[in-house]
Amino acid sequence: MTSLANAFTLVAVGCGALLFLAGTLGLLRFPDTLSRLHALSKADNLGLGLIVLGLLPQAESFAGGLKLVCVWLLAQISAATASQLIAGVLYRRKSRP
Amino acid sequence: MTTEIGGTPLLARLTRGLGFLALWLILMGPALTDLPIGLIAAAAATWTSTALWPENGKLSASGLVRFLIRFVPQSAVAGVDVARRAFAPRPALSPGFVTYRTSLPPGMARSASCAVMSLQPGKLPVAADADGTLHIHCLDLREPVAEQIAADEAAFCDTLQSGGVHG
Repeated sequence: MTSLANAFTLVAVGCGALLFLAGTLGLLRFPDTLSRLHALSKADNLGLGLIVLGLLPQAESFAGGLKLVCVWLLAQISAATASQLIAGVLYRRKSRP
Repeated sequence: MTTEIGGTPLLARLTRGLGFLALWLILMGPALTDLPIGLIAAAAATWTSTALWPENGKLSASGLVRFLIRFVPQSAVAGVDVARRAFAPRPALSPGFVTYRTSLPPGMARSASCAVMSLQPGKLPVAADADGTLHIHCLDLREPVAEQIAADEAAFCDTLQSGGVHG
């Protein structure tokens, strides 16, 4: 059972890291600032979600697992809000004559 | 209990405060020396939440479940979609703007709906006009974006008990 949990952790955390790599690649490769924001907010959120999911079987207690999930939720809310605020500033600057 | 402060019943405020304190305890641990800071943080969060989200803004539990069943897989699709484009030899993008007339009134509901939309595949709201026109940046204009946005908004409105669609 432990080895199954460890395998799950390895796969999920590995996929999470791959998504963080994708977010960074998008940041470097996408053509404009707004498209780069898509890469950062969306890929990193899924990456963090997979890492949290992978770490859950390794949590020492229920409270520890709950803390991981709360950290992911807070990160998701802040990423969604921050990317929108940055996008709004960029859009206003662009549309200003 | 009928005591009201600033339009919000005291009991509702206490419940929210306890919820925020529970969140603090989960994140920081139950050490007694940290508790005063936790109480201050919970009070500040309660004050902010009453300003942003009045007590009459109730959520529908069944609507929320239906919304989450749609949101979580869509959020995963959004991440995979961006990853696929980022890893492609030539990023397959056709970025641009679309406008969409939202039926949500300005304020918390509209802001929350925009925040949710920014985690859905290929869409990022950048501005909202006074008449409810949203300007949305899309990664790929070749996709049926308007239909997706309408479906996203319908799922979001489902979570608001009052409907929130009169505006």
